[in-house]
Amino acid sequence: MSKAGSTHTEQGHLSLLVTVLAFALPVIFILVPLAIFLIYSFFSVDQGTIVYAPTLGNYVRFFTDPIFLPVFWNTIVLCVSVAIICILLAYPAAYFLTTLKGRWRYALLMLLLVPLLMSYVIKIYAIRSILGLNGFLNKALVATGTLEQPSTLFVFNMNAILLTLSLLLIPFAILPIFLSLERIPQTLLRASDDLGASGLQTFLRITLPLSLPGVASAASFVFVLAIGDFLTPQMVGGISGFTFGRILYSQFGTAYNWPFGAALSVALAIVVICAILIGERFGRSRGTSI
Amino acid sequence: MSALPRPSTLFLAAITTLVAVLLYSPLFVPIVSSFFTISHGDVDWSSPTLSTYRTLAGNHDILAALRTTLIVGLCTVVLSVVSGTLLALYYHGRRSGRSVLQFIIFLPFLMPPIISGLALLIFFREIGLERSLLTVIIGHTVFVLAIVYRTVLMRLQSMSRTLVEASYDLGATGWQTFWRVILPNLSSAMVGGAILAFALSFDETMITILVTGTQSTLPVRLWAMMRLGFSPDINALVALILMFTVLLCVLAARFLIPRQMATERA
Repeated sequence: MSKAGSTHTEQGHLSLLVTVLAFALPVIFILVPLAIFLIYSFFSVDQGTIVYAPTLGNYVRFFTDPIFLPVFWNTIVLCVSVAIICILLAYPAAYFLTTLKGRWRYALLMLLLVPLLMSYVIKIYAIRSILGLNGFLNKALVATGTLEQPSTLFVFNMNAILLTLSLLLIPFAILPIFLSLERIPQTLLRASDDLGASGLQTFLRITLPLSLPGVASAASFVFVLAIGDFLTPQMVGGISGFTFGRILYSQFGTAYNWPFGAALSVALAIVVICAILIGERFGRSRGTSI
Repeated sequence: MSALPRPSTLFLAAITTLVAVLLYSPLFVPIVSSFFTISHGDVDWSSPTLSTYRTLAGNHDILAALRTTLIVGLCTVVLSVVSGTLLALYYHGRRSGRSVLQFIIFLPFLMPPIISGLALLIFFREIGLERSLLTVIIGHTVFVLAIVYRTVLMRLQSMSRTLVEASYDLGATGWQTFWRVILPNLSSAMVGGAILAFALSFDETMITILVTGTQSTLPVRLWAMMRLGFSPDINALVALILMFTVLLCVLAARFLIPRQMATERA
């Protein structure tokens, strides 16, 4: 009896310790840094040193300075375009996968998802070498006679960022769309067919509406990843491809204005949170109503 | 059974092929180029050679970066698997506080890495921790924790409760049940999570750039090299890394998929 009691208190101590650890780790290393970061955005910098006094100056500067808002909007438009391109390519591919049977379906899905696990930096590098002035794309276009001489259309500008991000992020669009298409009950399609609908009608009236939640989460995934990416614009953007991420990063490097950089990050975080919430909202409400 | 493919099917197949080509071309171009010499930006297709691989073997910068990457990766794997498994065990079946903490664990994964990285950068500065490999390891662990946590939690949830009940019925103590029943059942999920954690850590660039001191990991080193311009031995390195990643994928799939499929069928 006493032995059982002592193991009970031992277990009590142990579970208390585990509880503290379970909370401490995420709180100390995730929540606290993010909180400090948020607080930092209300500080300011005076002659290279950080002034620890609360001010709204950084946010005022973000909204009033003519530099930041246009880049911010341009970056959002760029990332929305990336999401649209990814969905236009991923939707037919995902749809094709669901028409396949059994093992082929998943084998092909894996094949389209594996590039996700390949080194990000390396893919950017390779895409840059493909798009470059001496790259394979230009050589192919010149060889086929489409272009007379190599074009600088795809290198070191916004087009390059758009193409590279789209290429990198397509798999993130394929998966959610595939999952939502796969969830559509076959009986609905057969019923539609029985009632005399054509293939196109069935697609437009049944498959497409039921797969929209997947499209919404795909769009939100791709958008969030695109807007958070700083490496791609830095690598392929050149001087003219200036995105919000690059401005943000420069505040921590050359400009050495951490509080302002933190405020810019907060703006970025708000956009990301909104995109995730919108994706969740549309991805879920339709999904549960089925 | 099915008749001749219709035009719409052909169209879909064509787009799928296009997507596959788009996804794989950035992987194959460097691999193929790695076996040829490049001079003045032109590839000499006439004579395949292994010279780029030989140059690479003598590149001490790269080898040092590779060693750093492996050290960081292994430490990250140990830390994230231990803490991720403990967290999953702790939150499995517990209601209070679970959703809040789960949200916190997933934050670094949802937030753009540039934000997580900058938050950690300021945090380390405020607590006076010098930027070093330690800060990189902490950054990576925070980043991959959610993956390991989720992998282990999913296995825990698919594990039948009767196993644990049977163990208690047969007179096992809590510890015995943990070591003999729960842990063996989790082991393949833990290995799978570890491989994913390693793969993510191996590739993590943004956070590393921000929180690293003087030593850089392979992606960071590559990033720095690529900004200066092309060097043929990068192609050889790229080819080797890609082969390594394929190996990791195969391993991860082996540990994560068969068991889940087996439990689904059962």
